[in-house]
Amino acid sequence: MSEGSTTGGFEPKIVGFLCNWCSYAGADKAGGAQKSYPPNVNVVRVMCSGRVDPQFILKAYKAGADGVMIMACHPGDCHYKEGNYKALARHRILLRVLAEHGIESDRCRFDYVSAAEGDRFIKILTEMIDAIRALGPIGIRMILPKI
Amino acid sequence: MKIGVYFCNCGSNISGKVDSQQVRQLLETRCDAAYFKTCELMCSDDGKAYLHGEIAAEKPDRIVIAACSPREHEGTFMRVLSGAGMNPYLMQMVNIREQVAWVTSDVGRASVKAAALIRGAVKRVGFHRPLEMKSIEMSPDVMVIGAGPAGLKAALTIAETGRKVTLVEKRAVIGGQPVLYEEVFPNLQCAPCMLEPMLDEILHGEYAKNIEILTLSEVVELYGFYGNFIAKIRKAPRYADMNQCIGCGECIGVCPVDVKNEFNNGLDNRKAISLSFAGALPNVPFIDMAECLRTRGEDCRLCEEACPLGEGIILFDDTEVILERHMGAVIVAVGASLYDAGLIPELGLGRLPDVYTSFEFERLLSSTGPTGGQLMTRSGRAPGSIAIIHCVGSLDANHKEYCSGICCQYAFKFNLMVEHKLPGTQIHHLHKELVYPGKEEYFLYRRAKENPNAVFTAYQDIGTLHITAAEDGILITNALSADDPIKADMVVLCPAVAPSKDSGKLNEILGTTIDSLGFFEELHGRLDSARSKVRGIYIAGACQSPMAIQQAITHGMAAAGYAPSGIVGGKRLEIEPITASVDMDRCSGCRVCMLVCPYRAIGFDEQNRKATVNEVLCEGCGTCIAACPAGAINGNHFTNDAILAEIEGVLA
Repeated sequence: MSEGSTTGGFEPKIVGFLCNWCSYAGADKAGGAQKSYPPNVNVVRVMCSGRVDPQFILKAYKAGADGVMIMACHPGDCHYKEGNYKALARHRILLRVLAEHGIESDRCRFDYVSAAEGDRFIKILTEMIDAIRALGPIGIRMILPKI
Repeated sequence: MKIGVYFCNCGSNISGKVDSQQVRQLLETRCDAAYFKTCELMCSDDGKAYLHGEIAAEKPDRIVIAACSPREHEGTFMRVLSGAGMNPYLMQMVNIREQVAWVTSDVGRASVKAAALIRGAVKRVGFHRPLEMKSIEMSPDVMVIGAGPAGLKAALTIAETGRKVTLVEKRAVIGGQPVLYEEVFPNLQCAPCMLEPMLDEILHGEYAKNIEILTLSEVVELYGFYGNFIAKIRKAPRYADMNQCIGCGECIGVCPVDVKNEFNNGLDNRKAISLSFAGALPNVPFIDMAECLRTRGEDCRLCEEACPLGEGIILFDDTEVILERHMGAVIVAVGASLYDAGLIPELGLGRLPDVYTSFEFERLLSSTGPTGGQLMTRSGRAPGSIAIIHCVGSLDANHKEYCSGICCQYAFKFNLMVEHKLPGTQIHHLHKELVYPGKEEYFLYRRAKENPNAVFTAYQDIGTLHITAAEDGILITNALSADDPIKADMVVLCPAVAPSKDSGKLNEILGTTIDSLGFFEELHGRLDSARSKVRGIYIAGACQSPMAIQQAITHGMAAAGYAPSGIVGGKRLEIEPITASVDMDRCSGCRVCMLVCPYRAIGFDEQNRKATVNEVLCEGCGTCIAACPAGAINGNHFTNDAILAEIEGVLA
């Protein structure tokens, strides 16, 4: 039984890359409202979603993540003007690469969460967990190159 | 490496939902922390003293603090580290309150999650390097572009702090648009009289020595960055000595050349040497050399000969100069213009002589205008009926979708001014919407409604209005009341306030951004409307958004308070160490980083063919790091190694 599980069933491990200014603050907002949600997502804070190097995402799969979320400021709201657009573009390209390696697109989600959107953060996170639960464990770890 | 973990109970906020003993046990495997200690309330004075003492006693190489969000207390704990003689960047916070304790219902699972996040931080913090704030010299001086209400107020406010201000104005006169108006809303105050004391302060006041006014000038280049900008300013020749001329105007009357007067929208003529309009400041005429007879090879010296001060005041051989000025900040206050109503041909602007824009009408009402303030049609008749069309090109997806917010006010002002000048004149207000927010603004609307000769008529869409020539005047048909066309002798169009024509060009020179409407883009619409997205460049007045004089002046003051706050004489500019840096050995010179940098912080060393990061401009977002195909750029504190280690740690 893995540490995260209480039932012995499959508990997805998800890494969330959250930008400091909007989505990380949005996650804090959910916390401030003390709204309970499943503890399957471990957050790695970056200053900007534009900092999320695709190799971080590959690294997460390699290290055991069943899914990865990249959360950014809404279009037009990026603290660094346009880092979220860069992140969006990279995500689109990465999905194609992941598909070639048999990693389903549901395992890599890009979305926007503002600093005010605690509820939206929880909604996206819950959807992600449900989607990964449906897909099952990732099981491709061995074929990824060493990172 | 000795890594110490501190677990803050946060009163019962964390300890009530996360079991620190379970976390301690979990961290006994797959974690390299040297010790694990709990603390009651780390951010309290006692907690900070405890941490300070711990650093002295344990002498850890790195510290992990599992507590609240780093957005709340990272700065607090960094200061404790500094105070205890430890580099503040050798610490990592773990957010086990907002993102674990408060959001996880099961204590067991919360503890497991907390342990995973702490593992990530412990792995990560090993890659932290001590970072130091750097500092460079900076200029406390400011350049203000645009000498309208916002720019003037900003320049004066900054000059009063003892700083040098370079005030760059494209036109020959200062005061912006309102100096051309006779009276302004909401209380019909005389605009030149209202502005004159401020203009006088700028020109001759106690702090005038701190303000360099450059008229007929434009910024043509800006380089450098916050604290150290260098501007190149092209100053066109005025052909008159600003310092000696007494502004008597003797030279103007004798000039034999007549040209259309742009200050009156071409409604009358001026001379080749002119003073713009009566009362214009600086009170020194300028020669429009394109029109002067000397340009055509004639040796006309009538103006020079008429000068009571003799030779040396009129300067025929004055030339264009490029000036260079050094400043720490720039305020853009170039104002706005009116949407071109000529784009809606049904309105007859330019086709029917008695259809005017509101700018033109302001001049017709002005005692310094083309008719000396006498209200008359082009044929010299007093108008019996005037139609004022509101919302021209506003609230309209085909033109400008926004409401400019000031047009109704000046339209009601027109109503009252017409009533004063020519009592009994019929006034038709044709409008889509009517707005009058604010504590003073309703007054003018009420007065307009009380005018027995005023009629308010709604129209649906600007395309449903047709303005045509009638036998003795103008006919306006409105689709909403097609059977009842309006007859008028004059039509006044109130177009949307639109970005000024040169905004785009100036935006490129400054490296700022413009919004989808063409206005200078603010850093944040609500929180930071006086700052552009470029550090050290501020925006004020109608170049940011349509606004009234009062707002523009307040905005100018805001920028003037903001701009100098970080650039203080004698102080050095501190540079945050969380920036990108280039590994010269790995950089291939492909310049991808330069393309993605939102701050133009990456330059190119032509000699070595390598990218270089300007640490002052770099905001530390890390977009270039993710983009570099050679892995040659790294971000201080958010290095690839540190982030990869954290990912591994949280999944261990």
